[in-house]
Amino acid sequence: MPREAEPSLNEKQFVLQALQDSVRLDGRELEQYRPLELTFGDQYGVADVTLGKTRVLAKASAELTVPYADRPLDGIFNIATELSPMTSPAFEVNRPTETEVLISRLLEKTVRRSGALDTESLCLVAGQKCWSIRVDVHVLSHDGNLIDAACFAVVAALRHFRKPDTSMEGGVLTVYTPAEREPVPLSWLHSPFCVTWSFFGEEGDIAVLDATWMEEQVRSGSCTVSLNQHGEICQIAKLGGVPVEAVSLLHCTNVALVKAKDMSSKLDRWLAEDAKRRDKGGLLAELSAENDRVPDM
Amino acid sequence: MPLDTSTYNLALLRVDGRRWNELRRIHAQIRTQAAADGSSYLEMGHTKVMCVVTGPSEPGPRRGVAGAGGGGGGGGAGGQSKEAEVVVNIVIAGFSSVDRKRRGRGDKRTLEMQSTLSNTLAATLHTHLFPHSQINISLHVLSQDGSLLAALINAATLACVDAGIPMTDYVTACTAGSTSTYAANDEGADPLLDLNHQEEQELPGLTVATLGDSDKVVALVCESRVQISRLEGMLAVGVDGCKQVREILDQVIKAQGQKMILEGTVDKGTGLNDMDLD
Amino acid sequence: MPITILPPKFSHPPPPPQDISDSDSDLSSDDGGAHLDFASLGLPNRKPNPANNPLFTNLVTPGTLITPDPQWMRGHGTYIPPHTTHITSSLAGIITRTNKLISVSPLRARYTPEVGDLVVGRIVEVQAKRWRVDVGSVQLASLPLSAINLPGGILRKRTETDELQIRTFFAEGDLVVAEVQQLFQDGGAVLHTRSLKYGKLRNGLFAAVSGVGGGSGVVRSRRQVWTMEGQNGGGKMDVILGVNGYVWISKHVEQVAKELEQKHMGITNMEENVSAGVYSSQNDPIDSDTMREITRLRGVVTALVENGCRVDEDMVIRGYAEACEMAMLSETGPEDIYLGGQRGEELTRALRGN
Repeated sequence: MPREAEPSLNEKQFVLQALQDSVRLDGRELEQYRPLELTFGDQYGVADVTLGKTRVLAKASAELTVPYADRPLDGIFNIATELSPMTSPAFEVNRPTETEVLISRLLEKTVRRSGALDTESLCLVAGQKCWSIRVDVHVLSHDGNLIDAACFAVVAALRHFRKPDTSMEGGVLTVYTPAEREPVPLSWLHSPFCVTWSFFGEEGDIAVLDATWMEEQVRSGSCTVSLNQHGEICQIAKLGGVPVEAVSLLHCTNVALVKAKDMSSKLDRWLAEDAKRRDKGGLLAELSAENDRVPDM
Repeated sequence: MPLDTSTYNLALLRVDGRRWNELRRIHAQIRTQAAADGSSYLEMGHTKVMCVVTGPSEPGPRRGVAGAGGGGGGGGAGGQSKEAEVVVNIVIAGFSSVDRKRRGRGDKRTLEMQSTLSNTLAATLHTHLFPHSQINISLHVLSQDGSLLAALINAATLACVDAGIPMTDYVTACTAGSTSTYAANDEGADPLLDLNHQEEQELPGLTVATLGDSDKVVALVCESRVQISRLEGMLAVGVDGCKQVREILDQVIKAQGQKMILEGTVDKGTGLNDMDLD
Repeated sequence: MPITILPPKFSHPPPPPQDISDSDSDLSSDDGGAHLDFASLGLPNRKPNPANNPLFTNLVTPGTLITPDPQWMRGHGTYIPPHTTHITSSLAGIITRTNKLISVSPLRARYTPEVGDLVVGRIVEVQAKRWRVDVGSVQLASLPLSAINLPGGILRKRTETDELQIRTFFAEGDLVVAEVQQLFQDGGAVLHTRSLKYGKLRNGLFAAVSGVGGGSGVVRSRRQVWTMEGQNGGGKMDVILGVNGYVWISKHVEQVAKELEQKHMGITNMEENVSAGVYSSQNDPIDSDTMREITRLRGVVTALVENGCRVDEDMVIRGYAEACEMAMLSETGPEDIYLGGQRGEELTRALRGN
């Protein structure tokens, strides 16, 4: 397996010393994110997130399937992460590296286990038919802080996604094509966002947000906090690394809350803009759709 | 099965009869296996784990089985690094929980725990003293009743002390929770120490590992939804619990040392008090 | 390997009583219950309050502050946390002081090689010009081709033929006895077998116990190798206690002894006697009585270690005598070589009693 070349010793030292003086290589503040950009695809449920040079693409899709036997009332919701050699030669296809496992676990805990998506609403016929929602996360470019970018992409994709409308009449389940009925959004409960702190130095006293790849290679520990806009922690993962004072961890979560709220309002704004863009005809087109009469072209 | 927490407010007793700040019984033992460099056995209530440490030793293909192609051999071969690599392997026995579910080798939860343990221990072990080598830590979960990660960390710490691997201080862990679910935002919610399986299922909780007597948090894992305001209380109780655990583990190690001194296996040494004569 | 898990014991000690000496007054408030608990459970280490026992003052555990005084120097097993002068222990062990140097010797650890140590090792890898030897240390030791006695008389230069035939001297899995010649910065050791005392091991039995790292096991002593008389009809036996905790017990072969005698005749003479036979892996015939005694001796060594005794010449010889006596008293007579479990404890108790 090819290994990622480590930064040289004096590079490492340079980054660390600069950080001791609160200077980052790209001139950011310690608690400042790189510019976060989000582009939606033409289809529903495609979100392309860039965070500086890090770029993550998430695509949500839905299919009809049979619910798991032990949970007949719940739909199925999965997140699949893919770190391909395109991102870095250290990643291999079909052999998940530790990074990949940790990212997918984190996303799963943040989005799935925290109940962001109401899985019960995905069930159509108890024990027989349900929606299986799947989000594929592809990392297109890796320049650090994959977790925050991936999480943002997943949440954006899911909130943007529309699944085909269905109806139940007299025990007959009908799934409508987009032409017949406007697809419906998922039943979404809350939007969690990951905020990752990186700690530097032997004492772990320098805490930095949104580390670049270079910084990630130099850091001595990290802590990912997932929060939603209501101030609820969905997950905290400080999986070892340099010991950090409990008090500064509390401070970190409080700052993370501010960042999460910020991300949440950004996402809301982008979603609204996108909805506006798609809704070309405005209110009139809306009305004509309600008439359910599609004129032959 | 939902846990009935409504009675908690009446008697302030938990389902197993503990108060909010009580640990379960911890029973620990070191040197359980003669062949290993270090070994330990730890019970936290009904959670039972065993740990075996091999190394620091030369990494690479399994020794002794020359050419026979030792099975495991996974992970990056960090043979040329300046620090010892900490390799953790967790085996969760099929009979350890109520449902006899077999977890495969590739189970993500187990992989995550392995990585957590490895990073946690690497932060405290003086790995720079052993270049080009590897410390193998193998953990076996015999019985699960909540606080699994905490028990694993404690058992691994004990085994590393037994193996005589230099470390900054003990890393001890325990869990903390809160009496009300995330939805209820009542201020009267009490923090709870050392969750059992039932509590872990129903209540928000976190696992915290600290370094020695300090308030320094090495690992903090929270997997449930909880109000941010609740975090401080849970963390405080958890950190305090870690200190209690440290005391208990320290007693175990000391008892072993005292036994060895009494048996004459080791010298009593020359301490500072013996030399302050000048 | 056996797993020993003791029955649960009372392990949630209440905060240590302030003064255990006045525990007679068990009426003293609610603390009295705790005192009684201790008394009835009879934890061995409780009876003399450990904090007061002078024997235990030098016992430290990781993270224990040894001294804040900057006049001392820190040695092995200690560290100084950043921004302080506090010498702190990083091991569970015993403080030892050499002048101004403070170090902690661990209760147990892997063997750390030192120059001049006699070690028993196992070849695990054959490389172009050297062997890699497992000596139970942190790293594999290396044994260069140039550090062995080459067959064919007189001190000769090592040739390319020797390099090609490297496996005929030692191959993977062979056991060797060697001396540590040199240490690398990172703790790796270089061995040599340039003496007739050293070389390949045959005709015997191997036992791995813990080495000099700390605690029980083999200790560095004046004599690590000796020949002893076997009881119950067994022949002479050679015992090699590797400082690294690897022990070799074998049948005594006269030829080697003869060669050893000739050692005094000058270095060239000695070299001439080095024949290819030294590198043979073939065992000599061993009669069953000797085999039994070799096994008994190995049982003695493992029993000593299991029960926390030091292993040196004196202990092994006394232990062997005791074991023979124990065997004579048992029903099966000298055939009884079992020395595990209770019998091992009995044996060590008898030795400690003396």
